[in-house]
Amino acid sequence: MKDNAYTGTTNKISISDQITAALGSLGITPIGLLLIIVLLILPFIPPFNQEHILRWLVSAALLAAQAIAFDFTTGYINVVNFGFAAFLGLGAYTSGLLAVNLGLSPWIGIFVGAIPAALVGLLTGLLTLKLRGIFAAVMAWFIGLAMLGLTRNLVDITRGPMGLSTPTLLDTSSNRPYFYIIVAMMLFTYIVLRKVIHSRYGLAFRAIGQNMDAARASGINPTYYRVFNFTLQCLIAGWLGGFYAHYFGILTPQIMLTSRTVEVLAIAYIGGRGSLWGGAVIAFPFIFLIEGLRSNLTALPGLHLVIYGLLLVLVMIFYPGGFAEFYNKASNWVKTAMRK
Amino acid sequence: MKEEKLLKEPFLVVFKRWMMSAGGITITLAVVAAIIATIDSGPFIIVNTVVTGGMWALLSLGLSLVFGVMNIPNFAHGEFFLIGSMTAYFVFNPMRLYLNDNPSAFLSAIAPFLGIFLAFLVGALMGIIMEKLIFSPLRKRSRDQWVMNSFLLTVGISVVIINNIQLIWGANFKGIPSYWNVDPLEFLGVRLSVDRLAALLLSVITLAIFWYFMRRTQTGRAVRAVAQDETGALLVGINLNKILSLTMALSAGLAAMAGASLLFMFPAYPTAGLKPLYVAWYVVILVGLGNVSAAVIGGFIVALLQTLTSYYIGTGWEDVIPTAVIIIMLIFKPSGLFGSVVKGVHEQ
Repeated sequence: MKDNAYTGTTNKISISDQITAALGSLGITPIGLLLIIVLLILPFIPPFNQEHILRWLVSAALLAAQAIAFDFTTGYINVVNFGFAAFLGLGAYTSGLLAVNLGLSPWIGIFVGAIPAALVGLLTGLLTLKLRGIFAAVMAWFIGLAMLGLTRNLVDITRGPMGLSTPTLLDTSSNRPYFYIIVAMMLFTYIVLRKVIHSRYGLAFRAIGQNMDAARASGINPTYYRVFNFTLQCLIAGWLGGFYAHYFGILTPQIMLTSRTVEVLAIAYIGGRGSLWGGAVIAFPFIFLIEGLRSNLTALPGLHLVIYGLLLVLVMIFYPGGFAEFYNKASNWVKTAMRK
Repeated sequence: MKEEKLLKEPFLVVFKRWMMSAGGITITLAVVAAIIATIDSGPFIIVNTVVTGGMWALLSLGLSLVFGVMNIPNFAHGEFFLIGSMTAYFVFNPMRLYLNDNPSAFLSAIAPFLGIFLAFLVGALMGIIMEKLIFSPLRKRSRDQWVMNSFLLTVGISVVIINNIQLIWGANFKGIPSYWNVDPLEFLGVRLSVDRLAALLLSVITLAIFWYFMRRTQTGRAVRAVAQDETGALLVGINLNKILSLTMALSAGLAAMAGASLLFMFPAYPTAGLKPLYVAWYVVILVGLGNVSAAVIGGFIVALLQTLTSYYIGTGWEDVIPTAVIIIMLIFKPSGLFGSVVKGVHEQ
């Protein structure tokens, strides 16, 4: 958009500019659009059209959507939802149990499952977000652990570690339609959250994240905005959980493990906090790297987690902006180089 | 000022006020619950509570200390526990096997202490390495949003340590049947294994030494000074880097020691640190973040809560009940049962 202002002296607005402006209002840059188009035709290009690689793509898109939702809270109000995986699991189990016991269609269940996740998120937020950020992180973690404990123990309802088999969204063995569903969900998550970030609310979030006392002094009620942000994140987590339940067709308490949260957290941070898109972009190459390692080095279980952890530590100490900052710097450099 | 007032007032008034405070109510309730449970189902409840409680106290003490002095909410604290139990296993187990073949009274008396002491040293060393390698660079780069950033760093460290241990030593359980090959003691009709008694004594002695160190020595005073006001401590000539390393070493060493002393109850395996980590965090949030002395009492209260939960409700509920208790606590007293004493934490 800045470039248009730079060169645009004509009164006529070309169609391509209009499209760019329309996409810009959705938060998609031309390069972003290109990446999305590549993503959409990827399932038809040879190495990626095999079913097991399509599965990787689906998990990558799911992780990307989670990273976007995660960054919405960590990157802006600086609160870490350490029970993120449990909120996702709550949505998944709600949707799955409704489908199994009441025969509710998974297409409705996905949306219904988001409601309890948002409610628990709201209560957690009301309880902890008036305190310092670390309370919310630890409390969300405790509540996550409690939910994990409940799903393990209430064997009569959840079937515990034996796993709950849930109906899938579609009657097909192909992963390709699921890929398009999750990509659509990911884009929807991104567009909605970016709309929020660019509204009055987003300004408040950033003010709170940078300096809470200053934000309070300028008349912002930090608790309200933090709880709003946290609840919205939990709502999206529950919604994505619904997809998880009806894609894999089996639910175990494993879905709520803290290590799942750590995965999302690492991706969101390596992608760049406060960017929303950073984690989503990084998730795809990462899943391929990790899954490639996992299938080639089965003798070394847990190696992928070592990589996650090490990268998280390195990024946090030496390059806190993550991939998003790297990209912004590189593109600025290219722009100035081209102008010369 | 406050102390003078306390001295002048009669004991009964002070006691009454204490009984009305959240801390007093909780302690009284805990003691009553322990007595009722003991009458109901036998003295082993008290024994279990006291033995694990002592070790939880050591663990939470370290976590609380690091938060109070360095403002680091350490998520890798459980990994120090794990490192301690791993070290003790690798030191003690070969000696145990050797002693099986050639018995020696002196060596079998000294071996457990050797294992536990070495675990303390290795844990302390790990703490210093972590401070120098990870927190010090971060501190130099930026102190913005320090609490959240250091929290996430420790999450990364914890994941790396757990999975490295799994890669190197595998996921199998490494445990020992007992440290002391002696018959259990009979005490007031309770059978008490020597291992448990030793763990209890060890925790009590360590807590006493720690208390003396913090209250009565120059270095301990310096640690407390840094906890109160870092800039002020620098101004009066305290070597900040030394104190920070020492704090980390102490915290890690105490956790490792707890891990080593409880090796006979909790065998070492890659994710063995998670449960102690939950417990230490439960305790610290329950009594108030950064409140070191209350963490000791909290350790015993949480141990009691766990013992009662696993005996009356079932083992799988150990995470659910304490979480419910903490939620209730946060509704009524968000700064913790005994109040938080952390100052100068500029964090959102």
